[in-house]
Amino acid sequence: MIAHRAWHWPAAVAVLLLAAALGIAFGTVRLSLAEVMAGAVGTGDPLHVTIVQALRGPRVLLAALVGAGLAMSGASLQGVLRNGLAEPYLLGVSGGAAVGAVLAYAAGYSGYGLLAVAAFAGSLTAVGATVLAARAAGHGARGDPRTLLMAGVVVGAFANAAIMIALANAPGNTVRSALWWMMGSASDATWATGAALALMLSVAGGALVAGARDIDALALGDEAAAALGVDVDRAAPRIYLLASLVAAATVAAVGLVGFVGLIVPHLVRAAGIRRHRALLLAAAIVGATLVIAADTVARVALPPAELPLGAVTAILGVPFFLAQLRRFRA
Amino acid sequence: MSHSRTVVGVIGCVALAAAITLAGCAPREEPSRAVTDTAALPPPVDDFRHEAPRGEARRIVSLNPATTELLVALGAADRLVGRTSWDLYTPAVRRARDLGNGIRPNVEAVLETRPDLVILYGSEDNVIAARRFRDAGVATLSLKLDRIGQLERAALLVGAAVGQEGRARVVVDSVHRTLDSVRAAVEGKPRLRAFWHVWDAPIITIGRGSFLHELVEIAGGENVYDDVSTPSPRVELEDIARRDPAVVLAGPVGARRIRSEQRWRAVRAVRNGRVLVVDTNLVARPSVRLGEAAVSLARLLHPGSL
Repeated sequence: MIAHRAWHWPAAVAVLLLAAALGIAFGTVRLSLAEVMAGAVGTGDPLHVTIVQALRGPRVLLAALVGAGLAMSGASLQGVLRNGLAEPYLLGVSGGAAVGAVLAYAAGYSGYGLLAVAAFAGSLTAVGATVLAARAAGHGARGDPRTLLMAGVVVGAFANAAIMIALANAPGNTVRSALWWMMGSASDATWATGAALALMLSVAGGALVAGARDIDALALGDEAAAALGVDVDRAAPRIYLLASLVAAATVAAVGLVGFVGLIVPHLVRAAGIRRHRALLLAAAIVGATLVIAADTVARVALPPAELPLGAVTAILGVPFFLAQLRRFRA
Repeated sequence: MSHSRTVVGVIGCVALAAAITLAGCAPREEPSRAVTDTAALPPPVDDFRHEAPRGEARRIVSLNPATTELLVALGAADRLVGRTSWDLYTPAVRRARDLGNGIRPNVEAVLETRPDLVILYGSEDNVIAARRFRDAGVATLSLKLDRIGQLERAALLVGAAVGQEGRARVVVDSVHRTLDSVRAAVEGKPRLRAFWHVWDAPIITIGRGSFLHELVEIAGGENVYDDVSTPSPRVELEDIARRDPAVVLAGPVGARRIRSEQRWRAVRAVRNGRVLVVDTNLVARPSVRLGEAAVSLARLLHPGSL
């Protein structure tokens, strides 16, 4: 295992910035470096200005925020639940969001404002149901992590069933839109959606980072955490909710993007980072880089068609993950 | 900056989401229609309620096969710079750039053709693309063209956008006249109960919402699924057998399957060899060839009538 060294941080940020620059430089339309620069500052061909400022710029920003959010969310949940298989959608975020999105499509409201609101409301409803169900099963306010996981799985299964019933007899347009949404895409990005997600992330993600010491403590076990002075019954549910809130915001912005939230925290831990404050920040940087890269590949692989972001994320991430696998500790 | 207002709007939306305050938050740019003057008629709008462009577009992208056919009929095929993958009719059309399937188009690729008019299919999943084109200063015309009744308006709006309104009227008239002549030719003949086989796994047919249903009715048939309102319902083989159509209509591939597969023998029309092969290229689009399509269907259902 390599030690976590100081130079890792600037290196990671540099790679992130490089990915962002490549994401703006590459796309369906081939632009020279000069054209990209002119587009970025607003001089030059109006087509290039539109492409850089209105299309690629917001996409790169949104992809970065989504990657950062999912990775932070996953890292927090893995810590609190002491389970390396935990991921941001664990507590029903994805299923609930998909139900919200499918209902919005079925009702004909897919303009992105309402779609995002419906997906967001759906996720929070599902997370609420999961947490309440686990709590009703007893074991104190925190609930047994295993009960919580099971409740998440069951709520997710219920949501899937609801989606299948809603789509079974839906018109082709609705099915097409819903499927597109479930595969994830940053193609509808605008500066406005980016700003909205940035706001959500800075509030909920910021709260996770600020409370990272609690995650450190909870990762040692409830009794150890209590001995360290953490109010387990309050701290754990707060982290579940914040992590789910972050995930729900990303899902509302781009649909479902798997893999990032599960794998990125492991990659960062493999680099030797253990404390959750550093872990969350590093995971955010690596997650942002991965999703920017995936979105760029999704745009340039098969023009004029676009690949689903969630699939590209996994395809890019899996080899990297396998290469790192030997570094993981159980 | 026009961004800042939307920024505030969307931030507002997301912030309010927690409180689930949905009303009034949809940032759909819809020029309000309520404030029109009393004197003048309101300017025509497309299906996204954007004012329909008028003029003589020179570089046209058509992302709907039905409107591409219209453009060909209006003599504007040589002004086409972008099309969908399905538009292969006439060499002039084929020369235009293939921009994919037309739904959720790649905005960059479309803009690269430097269009002055983009014609979109008017379904919800194209709303954002239309907004992006308009933000980039390109006129858009978004139209749903799924029913025979929508042809006239679509043709006139497309005609106005490319400076061929007169020709558009002629095209619409000729389609309607052909449809009327088909109606007249099959009048008084017994209406043939027909099942239209669109797809095999799952079995999909046509409901009242489809222009194919309208064509069948015009051509002297009766759709056995005329009680279903959606355009392409999924149905069960047993239910088809129960409805007992007199004929089964299918494309060449579908017809071969139906004739060869044991399970389709549950349907009496199939056992009796009453599987009629439809020219699927002709009937694929609710556009300028609707008249021809009705004629060919009437000839299938009522041989010798036309």
